[in-house]
Amino acid sequence: MFKLKEPWPDFITFYSTASGAGWIVPRKYVEKVGEEGFKKAPVGAGPYKFVSFTPGVELVLEAFDQYWRKTPSVKRIVLRVIPDESTRLAALKRGEIDIAYSIRAELAEELQRTPGLTLRPTVGSAPYWLYFPEQWDPKSPWHDHRVRLAAKYALDYNTINQALTLGHSHITGSVIPENFEFYEKLPSPTSDPAKAKQLLTEAGFANGFDAGFYTCDVAYANLAEAAINDLAQVGIRARLRPLERAAFFKGYSEKKFKNIIQGSSGAFGNAATRLGEFVVKGGTYAYGSYPEIDELFPLQAVELDHTKRAGLLSKMQRLLDERTMYVSIWQLAFISGVGPRLDNPGFGLIKGYVYMAPYEEITLKGA
Amino acid sequence: MKQFVTRRIGYSLLSLLLLSLTIFLFVRVTGDPAALLVEPGASEQDIAAIHQKFGLDQPLWVQYGLFMANLLRGDFGQSFYYQTPVLELYIDRLPNSLILGLVAMSFSLLVGIPSGILAAVRVGRFWDNAGKLFTLLGLSLPSFFVGLVLILVFSVYLGWLPSSGAGGFLHILMPAFALGWYFAAAHMRLTRSSMLEVLGSEYVKLARLKGLPPSMVIAKHAFKNALIPVLTLAGINLVLMINVAVVVETVFAWPGIGRLLYEGISFRDFPVVQGVVIMGGTMIVAVNLLVDVVYAVIDPRIRLEK
Repeated sequence: MFKLKEPWPDFITFYSTASGAGWIVPRKYVEKVGEEGFKKAPVGAGPYKFVSFTPGVELVLEAFDQYWRKTPSVKRIVLRVIPDESTRLAALKRGEIDIAYSIRAELAEELQRTPGLTLRPTVGSAPYWLYFPEQWDPKSPWHDHRVRLAAKYALDYNTINQALTLGHSHITGSVIPENFEFYEKLPSPTSDPAKAKQLLTEAGFANGFDAGFYTCDVAYANLAEAAINDLAQVGIRARLRPLERAAFFKGYSEKKFKNIIQGSSGAFGNAATRLGEFVVKGGTYAYGSYPEIDELFPLQAVELDHTKRAGLLSKMQRLLDERTMYVSIWQLAFISGVGPRLDNPGFGLIKGYVYMAPYEEITLKGA
Repeated sequence: MKQFVTRRIGYSLLSLLLLSLTIFLFVRVTGDPAALLVEPGASEQDIAAIHQKFGLDQPLWVQYGLFMANLLRGDFGQSFYYQTPVLELYIDRLPNSLILGLVAMSFSLLVGIPSGILAAVRVGRFWDNAGKLFTLLGLSLPSFFVGLVLILVFSVYLGWLPSSGAGGFLHILMPAFALGWYFAAAHMRLTRSSMLEVLGSEYVKLARLKGLPPSMVIAKHAFKNALIPVLTLAGINLVLMINVAVVVETVFAWPGIGRLLYEGISFRDFPVVQGVVIMGGTMIVAVNLLVDVVYAVIDPRIRLEK
């Protein structure tokens, strides 16, 4: 029983997915074995029982026949860590493993060409975007809405998607994942370099301009390279500044970056939690804000009528799009490979979740 | 002798103290581990909670003091990522690294020493040139490349060997080759130069003048003395193979200490990186100390040096 001092419509979102605090565990067992004992032999409420765990190496699970939802079909699941992408693909080709997570670009093409193997892309909850932290500075070119719009039209979304994720990512017009509660579907961005050049000319940048650094997480520098090329085609000349992931998010949150930021977020939650962190005043990753969006945020936070709240959040997202505060790129597809033994590997059954789940749905051929 | 050993132990302890300070500061220069323990886009409160949980909100000198106090008690701390004592993780992985290191070392010595001797004995001729090419390839081809080529040929195309992981004799062949390849070239080069030096010495010339057969001169008189620097290097290399075979263990998903170090660096798991580096450093310091003491026992001039 939870008693709250004031209305908090997002309590369950925070308690479950956003914080991960709401795991169901047997109280008596936890009290008996203590925290350390529980870590060594955890017991949950899922379809599989814990057998062994070697940190960083493998986790072995065994089916729990009396699982309330259904009896799992696969009796034993071994989750092995193979850090190198090429080695994972080799292991899959040899039949040493049945599923390989995260196979990208050229290796994904190789996987697609291999007889007996299947490509399984799933779109997760991580949109990617361009952000212009100087858009509130009247001296910056990014202050002009037309310049931000030009950047939006400059990117060749479909070509980038095809080259990097074989066309499986979802081109999106929003920084909110499409599977989030209160997500508002906005028009997907389209590529129009001629219009981008025209907008730049109207804004007084007929010869383009030096846009400074394009800062990104180094793991997604391939996306950044493609975007920088497209921006350069219309005259927005930026220099790539890839940073190691932790350094990137630290600098991003401490508001140390200028020019262009290629951001993303895979944090769980709903549209309100995402707007709270990235859009409204005081948000961890908000370098500035728009008052007309800010003023709606506290109203939705205490609104208990779901329809009214959805309306407020919808309006916020549409305003965000109208201001071109962000240039959304895609909601990234996570590509996995599946071997010939599996009938249903369980991908895509839980929307926004990129791994195989729920485990009880996984089936082998002929089982 | 006692004074010499005491002095050497003092130097060793000082080296370890400096190593602990260096690695402690070095890992912290690389950035904030909290950023990797939360989802991108996490709030400041979440990050602050992680800092507090792992004591990262304390001043650096307090963190170092706690780290050293725990270290002296044999406690390397708890992994941020795995929530498990670092020593437990290290000991779990040690047998795999020992096996891999020993097999790779055996391979590197079996290839490096005979080929080095052959190159020295046939200096300037075919075998010497072939040896030089082998050394060039061994020292210049990166182990990740060698590893991936091995996987492609022997696992994917021929289907003879498992691509990754540990388990049986077949699993170790490719990682041991990929790891030993570089060291075989290094041992070959040192054996060659050491043999050439010994073969040009006065006592070898005398042995030849006495009419001893060339095989006897090489095997009995030259080889024994030429082997000393090679074995000294091999001792240090074995410690490196056990502790820092990061690339090979990662490519082959070999569950050893090198991969643990890779995981520690990837997740910015300070206690894991510190623990592995200090254990590796301690082994190297111990081997060097042992070598110094053995040299001092053999050669009195060394222990009388100030």
